[in-house]
Amino acid sequence: MSDKKLKLPEVGQWPDKLVAPALIAGAVLSTVGFLMAFFYVAPVGGATVNGAELIGDVMVSQKMLLSQKIFYFHMPVAITSFIALGFGCYYAVRFLMTKNQRFDTCSRICLEIALLFVALTMITGEMWTRFEWGVWWSWEPRLTTYLILMLIVIAYFVLRSSVDEPERRGTFAAVVTIIATIDVPICFMITRLIPSSIHPVVLREGGMSPEMGLCVGLCALGMLCVGFVLYRARFNQVRLTQRVEALKETLDDERA
Amino acid sequence: MNPILADIYSTILPSAPYIIAAYALLWVALLVYVLVVFRGTKKAEAQLMLLEEAVADRAAKGE
Repeated sequence: MSDKKLKLPEVGQWPDKLVAPALIAGAVLSTVGFLMAFFYVAPVGGATVNGAELIGDVMVSQKMLLSQKIFYFHMPVAITSFIALGFGCYYAVRFLMTKNQRFDTCSRICLEIALLFVALTMITGEMWTRFEWGVWWSWEPRLTTYLILMLIVIAYFVLRSSVDEPERRGTFAAVVTIIATIDVPICFMITRLIPSSIHPVVLREGGMSPEMGLCVGLCALGMLCVGFVLYRARFNQVRLTQRVEALKETLDDERA
Repeated sequence: MNPILADIYSTILPSAPYIIAAYALLWVALLVYVLVVFRGTKKAEAQLMLLEEAVADRAAKGE
């Protein structure tokens, strides 16, 4: 496929027009989601207590789990990491089809964003794990598959830094991206495939109240907008750096 | 507070540090990434300006 016929991702194209609205939407939605999580959605109940008390208009006979509030951002950042990996895989496949370095650049930036959100998922999850389960780590199926995903994404960057030749580097990186993306549905479905007593299956009928679903939805949309803005900002920076490098090489060649 | 209410609310305060840490670390990590991108962009822009000056100098000398 010739490069002339390819429509390459570039700075100033239509996605850049969405950056400002996405930034505003990200800030508003994540703030509204945060406020809803603490002031609108009722706390979920934990262990039953010996007795019941009227709180508001509701008879409560369980411990209130404030720690569950972590979930309202934990799940959205995990979803964003999966979607970033999905886009990374799309660009990786396009790189393998065309061998155009621009797609490798896009894929690398998607993987950077994915790694950022994977780390955020781990951080928020660890806080929950430490308080609710009393440990910093558990070899529970969801945690283990997600750790594998994080290690694959870290391996992606280690691999990139160890290969100098651009086409070989891009090819290896694309294959690792596809492998990482294969782990995404496994991570997502593992709580259904291997029912775990500790990691809840949230996305199912009756798994969340409508208020919880709305709050998670808003936070997820907000985080997706934030992820998109970060991607475009990084893409613009990388393209600018690449243009500077190309200009330097041209000047050096002329000088020689 | 009556003992049942105390039991119902018993996990609220102990969990607060973990919730605050989760939210704070989340936004700090995002902010750090934004700062890294911002610094990288500023650096590239500065280099571009220098290169443009070098090109202009060369063009002036060539004339």
